[in-house]
Amino acid sequence: MDALLTAEEIALARHCLQYAQKQGASAVRITLTKSLLNLTGILNGEVDKVAHALDRSLQLQLFVDGKYGAFSSNRLEKEGLEGFVRDAIGTVKMLEPDPCRTLPAPERCARDARDGKELALYDPAYENLSAQDRKELALSSMAWPQKASLEQGFTLIAEEGEYSDSVFDSLTLDSQGLHARHTETSFEIGYESTVEDAEGNHYSSFWWDAAPRLKDLSLEGCARKACEKAAAQIGPQSVPSGKYTLIVDSECSSKLLTPVLSALGGYSLQQKNSFLADSLGKKLFPEQLSIVDKPRTVGQTGCRLFDSEGVATRELPIIERGVVKNWFINTYIAAKTGWEASVEDATRVVLEPVGGCKTQQELLEKMQDGILVTGFNGGNSNPATGNFSYGIEGFLIRGGKAVHPVREMLITGNFLSLWSRLAATADDARPCLSKCIPTLAFTGVDFSA
Amino acid sequence: MIESKSYYFNTFHVDEATLERLIQEALHGGGSYADLYFENTTYGNLLLRDGAVTSGGNHIDFGVGVRVLSGEKTGYAYSESTAWADMLSCARAAALIAESPSEVSPYGSKVPSRGEPNPAADRYPVKENWRVLPMASYLPFLQKLEAEVKRRDARVEKVMANLAFQLSDILMYNSSRELKWDSRPMGSVSLTVVFRQGQQVENKSTSRSFRCGAEMLSGSLIEALASDVVKGIDERFAAKRPKGGQMSVVMGAGASGILLHEAMGHAFEADFNRKGTSIFADKMGRQICPKGIQIIDDGTLTGNRGALNYDDEGIPGQKTYMVEDGVLTSYLHDRISAAHYGVRPTGNGRRESFRYAPLPRMRATYMESGEAKAEDLISACKKGIYVDEFSNGQVQIGEGDFTFYVKSGFLIEDGRLTQPVKDINIIGNGPEALSDIRGVAGDLAIDPGAWTCGKEQSVPVSCGIPTVLIGGLTVGGE
Repeated sequence: MDALLTAEEIALARHCLQYAQKQGASAVRITLTKSLLNLTGILNGEVDKVAHALDRSLQLQLFVDGKYGAFSSNRLEKEGLEGFVRDAIGTVKMLEPDPCRTLPAPERCARDARDGKELALYDPAYENLSAQDRKELALSSMAWPQKASLEQGFTLIAEEGEYSDSVFDSLTLDSQGLHARHTETSFEIGYESTVEDAEGNHYSSFWWDAAPRLKDLSLEGCARKACEKAAAQIGPQSVPSGKYTLIVDSECSSKLLTPVLSALGGYSLQQKNSFLADSLGKKLFPEQLSIVDKPRTVGQTGCRLFDSEGVATRELPIIERGVVKNWFINTYIAAKTGWEASVEDATRVVLEPVGGCKTQQELLEKMQDGILVTGFNGGNSNPATGNFSYGIEGFLIRGGKAVHPVREMLITGNFLSLWSRLAATADDARPCLSKCIPTLAFTGVDFSA
Repeated sequence: MIESKSYYFNTFHVDEATLERLIQEALHGGGSYADLYFENTTYGNLLLRDGAVTSGGNHIDFGVGVRVLSGEKTGYAYSESTAWADMLSCARAAALIAESPSEVSPYGSKVPSRGEPNPAADRYPVKENWRVLPMASYLPFLQKLEAEVKRRDARVEKVMANLAFQLSDILMYNSSRELKWDSRPMGSVSLTVVFRQGQQVENKSTSRSFRCGAEMLSGSLIEALASDVVKGIDERFAAKRPKGGQMSVVMGAGASGILLHEAMGHAFEADFNRKGTSIFADKMGRQICPKGIQIIDDGTLTGNRGALNYDDEGIPGQKTYMVEDGVLTSYLHDRISAAHYGVRPTGNGRRESFRYAPLPRMRATYMESGEAKAEDLISACKKGIYVDEFSNGQVQIGEGDFTFYVKSGFLIEDGRLTQPVKDINIIGNGPEALSDIRGVAGDLAIDPGAWTCGKEQSVPVSCGIPTVLIGGLTVGGE
């Protein structure tokens, strides 16, 4: 089976591209996507839900008389699409002109994404899975039948799990001859457990894994891990407000990097809604911090050969020894500002480990005391100032060991000053995440309780 | 907005015989209930940035979802085509759930929703249809809005205004032979402004969202949005982070309704209670907050973002008292949870689109007015915080811990509003916060902003509250 998109669907996309040009578009980009998802849900040891989803979409970006519009439809019949294209061109003509809207120069675009499978993210194993296979995969991770053995100071009162597999196939074409295809499969398992303590208090937690290839999916003990994480939260205690060392688990550490990456995005910078305005080439972060975008790592989650404009991705230093090396500038923002174009966004971000600790436990022993954050509960940040405030859940750490869970705590600060206090990291980034960020440790962070 | 039955049949290329035949196919494997949800949604958007409306577009989403229930188990599949072969394939995929047999529940029998939709009872009448007017007719609104914002404050550096609108045609049919249809409009305008004062930069956002037609794009809406976005900007520049810790919190009328949404609304959604995960799972009929308090989830507010003629299972939109005189009296139900608890569905079965099976979800959630005065609640605080502008919230259903992010507010010192504060998260525990309500003012306001709830799927909601004093919540700070 040749992924999902059929020859007829690809021919239809090419027809739309040519039809739009005939109707007056000076330039056209079309992205055709198709995805197939199968999901099996488990509740307390039994199949609770099955879902089957097949999606198609044709996205159309039109450049007409110096004006621009973006359109999409999931009704892929030829006659209907021709009318849709005509109406879309009529709509674009009503907008105000913007000479900065153009397709990227052809020499910047990907030429090596021909069949979509170049990054080895496609696993044909999904083609042979039956409904029974999926049910067995979903049930293979559960802990529910072992409920009795888990009743040590708590009762497992609910266990919800999901196994899903999906295939995603996309093709981007433009009127300059771009042909860029990306195909990937994904296999996911996730469990959420709720336990009740002797006083009737409830605690929930989850665990999950995902991989582009079925053989790499860690099914073993997924629900048990969720249950253990939930049970570990029993007996939370308040901790006084103050400054503590903040240690953030690799499961959620990307939460502290995402606003930094957003602030390096072209739209935020151009709109002056970024705390990293004028940051290019400046040393705003500590010497030990280096972050690289590695979008072409074969077989790794999230990798892509091209961005949403069809521009070829490449390895890109984002922050190198504390210096901001690159912004994420697309063709439009580059034309508007005169800044050098790069790519639309980060793809697979890797933070290089600092301090020599391999595991989280080694890092805890190195830092000795602090608060280990295992999850965030709400919160937000101000993109213009970099100020943030987040609810957290986790554990008080003394002598390198977890003493007890903490409750109703918040961390508050500013991203620039937070990252300036990066003390060390582990080397435990989860491969199933597109942001490869290990457990991080920062000193002197404000906690409120 | 409700069209004739034939309009919906023509839109989806079906008739009553086809619907019944498809339902029978869906039940062929032994399911106890099945329903069909047809949707044709057109979206439009226009974006003003850097002084011009240079980006816009239209989007079409069309399809049908087939759900089969076997007891409380769900099989779900959808098709982006309503050709018979595609719908049949869907029905058979959803029917697979019946391979795991379960106890049969009476999903339809308790539901008094026979009869055809009545246009006279429409909760979102439309005067100017979004689909009919040309996109060009909306440009002047955004241009005038930008000019009005700039006229009001010389510190404005950038204005970004977005107009988004949609109209969804919905047709629903189920194995109880209930046929319902609806057309749901939504118009939303969001505004983000960057201000510069010397070297200091601040941003401020506001929005309005209603179930109505393009008639919402009026001069008074421009006034309201521009006034909102410049209001309090002096305080924003002067604002500081407070010293964090536990303190009294006075929640201003309107947007503070996010407290109800996060602290209790989600925990009252009956799917969490049916599974036993909610912290309120065993509290039905018990006093959960002080006497005199009424908390409501309402789908009947005309033009409101959370209004529904019918929910996404064909149950009539209604007003549900969750708390009466401080006592928990009702969860929010879809058909599955209502059958589980042996009660009538409350019209809370909602979904993001035909791609999703419905879940119990909130609509417009608010608390009725009390008898106190807002200024008395503030003056009753020796030390605390007053909050009135928010961006987002979250809750942990099992533990009941909720948070919401405060964009702006004031310290309260000796009963007076003093230092402006900004960008702080507040955290509390739902049952504890509800029982710790010390006073409710008589100034209920429903917030008109574009609130969206993201529990597994995104659905439009709204919230409201009178000014409320809570004895102690944890406030983030330095």
